[in-house]
Amino acid sequence: MSVETHAHHEHPDVVGSRNRLGVVLLLVADIAFALSMIFVYFYLRQQNVNDMWLPAATSEHPAITPLASGAGWTVTAIAAFGLLAHFYGLKGVRAGNQTQLKLGSLVALVASIAAIVYQFNTIATAPFTFSDGAYVSCFYMFAILNFVHIMLTIFISLGNWNRARLGIYKSDHWHVDIVNVWWVWMVVSSLLGAFALSHP
Amino acid sequence: MTTVMSKPVSAPGKSIIEKLNFFTALALGALSAIVVWRLALQFLPQDTEVRLFTREDKITLLSMTAWFVGFMTGIGALVGPFRWLMGKDLTHEENMFLAGKDMGVKRYFRYTTDHKVVGIQYLVITMLIFGIGGILAMLIRTNLGTPEGGWIHPQAYNSIVGTHGIVMIVGTIIMVTGPFGNFIMPIMIGARDMAFPRLNALSFWLIVAAAVPLLWGQFLGGISTGWTAYNPLASQAPLGMDGYIMFICIFAISTMVAGANITTTVVKMRAKGMTWNRTPIFIYGVVASVALALPAFPVFFLSQVLSAMDRALDTSFYNTAGGGSGWLYENLFWIMGHPEVYVILIPAVAALMEMAPVFTRNPLFSFNVAIMGIAGISGLSILVWAHHMYMSGWAPLLNTPFMLTTELISIPTGMLFLVLVGTLWRGRLWMTMPTMSIFALLWNFMIGGITGIYLSDVPADAFLHGSMYVTAHFHYTLMGAGLTGALAALVYWFPAMTGRMFDKKLSWISFWMVQIGFNIAFIGMFTVGLAGQPRRVEAYASTFNTGNMITTGGAYLIMTGMLVLLYGVISSWRSGVIAPKNPWQAKTLEWTVGYPVPLENFDVLPVVTSDPYGYGKAKS
Repeated sequence: MSVETHAHHEHPDVVGSRNRLGVVLLLVADIAFALSMIFVYFYLRQQNVNDMWLPAATSEHPAITPLASGAGWTVTAIAAFGLLAHFYGLKGVRAGNQTQLKLGSLVALVASIAAIVYQFNTIATAPFTFSDGAYVSCFYMFAILNFVHIMLTIFISLGNWNRARLGIYKSDHWHVDIVNVWWVWMVVSSLLGAFALSHP
Repeated sequence: MTTVMSKPVSAPGKSIIEKLNFFTALALGALSAIVVWRLALQFLPQDTEVRLFTREDKITLLSMTAWFVGFMTGIGALVGPFRWLMGKDLTHEENMFLAGKDMGVKRYFRYTTDHKVVGIQYLVITMLIFGIGGILAMLIRTNLGTPEGGWIHPQAYNSIVGTHGIVMIVGTIIMVTGPFGNFIMPIMIGARDMAFPRLNALSFWLIVAAAVPLLWGQFLGGISTGWTAYNPLASQAPLGMDGYIMFICIFAISTMVAGANITTTVVKMRAKGMTWNRTPIFIYGVVASVALALPAFPVFFLSQVLSAMDRALDTSFYNTAGGGSGWLYENLFWIMGHPEVYVILIPAVAALMEMAPVFTRNPLFSFNVAIMGIAGISGLSILVWAHHMYMSGWAPLLNTPFMLTTELISIPTGMLFLVLVGTLWRGRLWMTMPTMSIFALLWNFMIGGITGIYLSDVPADAFLHGSMYVTAHFHYTLMGAGLTGALAALVYWFPAMTGRMFDKKLSWISFWMVQIGFNIAFIGMFTVGLAGQPRRVEAYASTFNTGNMITTGGAYLIMTGMLVLLYGVISSWRSGVIAPKNPWQAKTLEWTVGYPVPLENFDVLPVVTSDPYGYGKAKS
C-alpha cells in the first residue's frame, strides 16, 4: 500500500522527512555514477593510450582539438540560474507566498528547457564524431548523460510548476524542498562535467 | 493469499490502473520492440566504414530499450509519476487497489505495492532464476563429465557458462533481500509497509523487464565472454552482448531503487522503542547489503553504458586503438564486483545470526561484535577490488596494498564466525534444518574464506589465477555460505509467509543431499584446480578426469537435493501442516501478527520494550 494510504495516520512532515531521505539515497547512487564518470575521464586522460586522447593530425584527419570549455560552463550557468529561480520559489512557499512559488517554478522550468536546447545544440554541432579518440568519447559521455539529467529536471520542473499552479502546495511544501535537492545536485553534476572538460 | 482486509473500501472506478497487468505489459513491450526495430531498420543509415556490428547494435539496443519502456508502461509503473505531473495524486481507493486489496491471486500479476505480495513475487522469481541457472550448471557439468567434452558446441558452451554466471549472481543478490527483505523486514521492525511502496513494486518489475533482453540475447549469439564481460572481448562479441548490457543496466536500477527504499524504511519507520540496540541483526544485514549496493551498482551500470557506446556508437572507452583501455573496464567492473560478493553474503549470514538465538535459546553472542563485523566487511569491501586484477598487469605497485586490504577483511569476517560459534556454545540446540545450516555455513565459509586468503596472496594467485580453484572458492562462499543461509531463511520464515510449516522430513533430505553433493562437487573442483585445470574450458586433459567426474557426480546430487526442496516448497505450501502463530517461539515482531498478515500488518503499531535476543533471561 502506498504512502498516501497512511496519510491519515501520519503528519506531512513525517512523510516529507522520509521522502527527503529516500531522494538523498537515490542521489547517493547518482553521485557514485557521476564520480565514476569523472574517474573514467581522468583515467583515460592520464593514460593517453597510443597518444589517442587527442589524436594528432593525419593525412586523412585534422588534429582533434578540445571543445572550448565555455560550452560546459554555459549549460551549468543556465542550470544554476534555474536553481536560483527554484530557490526563490521555495522561499516564497515557505513564507506562504504562492505567487512567488508559481513564478519561481515557472522560471526554473523555462531555464531547464533552455539548458536542454543548449545541450542538444552542443552535441549536434560538436566538430568531431564519436570515433575521434578518448577525449571525444568522454565529451559525449558527459554531454549525453547531462542531457538525460536535464530531461529528468524538465519532467520534475513541469510537475512542480503545474502543482504550484493548481495550489497543491498550499497545505505543505515538502515536495518543493525535495525538488530543490534535485536541482542542487543537477547543477553540481553539470559543474563536475564542465570542470572535467575544462582540463583536456 | 497473504493478507486480509481490515476495512471495506468502495470499488475503484474503471481507471487505467485497473486495466494494466503483466499481460498488458508483455503485449505493450513486445509491440514497442517490434515497432522500434522496424523503424530502426528502415531509417538508420548504413555504416560508412566496415565496423563490427555498429548499426546492428544500434538497432538491437534501441529495440531492447523500447521493450523496456513498453513493458514498464504496460505494467503501470508510469501511472504514479504522470499523475504527479498532472497534479492528480492517486486517491485512497486507487492506492488500496494498488495494494492488491480484494484481488486474490491476480495481485501477483499486477503492479502491486503491498510489501508481502512483492516478497512472494521475489521468492517465486528467485526460484525461477535458480532453476534456470541450475539447469545451465547441469549442462556445464554434463559436458565436463568426459575430458573431450563435445556434447555442447563450444560457442554455445561459452554462452551457457556466461549466462549461468550472471543469472546465478543476480539470483544470489536478491535471494535474501528480495523475498525476506520485503516480506519479513517491514513487519520485523514494526512498520505498516515499506517507505515507498510504489518503488518496491518498481524494483521487482524491473527485474522481470530485465530478464527478457537476457533471454533475447541468447538468440543473437549469446554471452560468449563469461559473466564478467571483459572488454575488448565484449565489444567484439556477438549481438547477444547487447542483451547482457541491457539486463545489467535495468537490474542496476532495480538494485538502487530497492537500496534507497529498504534503507529509508529501516531508518525512518522502526517501531517506537526499537532503538538501534534493539533492532534485530537481520535488519543490519539487509541494510548493510543494500546500502553497499547503492554506491557500487551505479559503477557497474556506467561500465555497461560505456560498453554499449563502444559497440553502438564506436566510441573508444575500452578500445586501445582509439585511446581506450581494457583496464578501465576491469576497474569499473570490480569496483562493483567485489562489494557485490558481500551484498550477497552479509544478509545470508545475518539471517543465520537471527536464527541462531532462536534455535539455541541463547542470547546472540556479542551483538556489538556482530555489528562491527558487518560494518567492517562493508567498509573494507570497497577497498579490495584490484585483487581480481593482480595478473592483468594493471598497477603492480598497488598489489601489496590490495593484498593487505583483502587479507584484513578476514578479521571482520572472523567476528561473524565468533558471534555464531559463541551463540551456539552451550546452547540448548533445537535440531532443525536452519540449525544445521548454521553448522554448514561455518564449515563451507571456513573453506571458502581460507582458500580466499591464498587467492588474495599475490604469489599464490600467480599460480591459481584463472584455474578451477577460483571457481571452487567463490562457489564455497556464494553457494556454500550464501545459499545455505538463504535456504535456512526459507524454511525458518516459511510459516510466516505461507501460514504452513515446511515439511520437516523433506527439509532434512534436501539439506543433506545439497550439502554432501556440494562438498563432493567443489572439493573435486579444488583438486583439479590445484592440479592446473583452467576454468571456462569445455574440454580438458585426461589427467583431470577423475576430479571432474567427482564434481559432476556431486553436481547431480545437488540437483536432486534442490528438486526435493522444490517439491517441499510446493507440497508444504499447498497442503503442509498449518503453522501455529509463533512456531519457533521467537521474540521478533514478525511472529506477532499471525497469518494471514493483515493488509497494514498491525492494527496498532507495536512498542518495543526489550531486545530481541533475551533468551534465558528472567522476564524476557
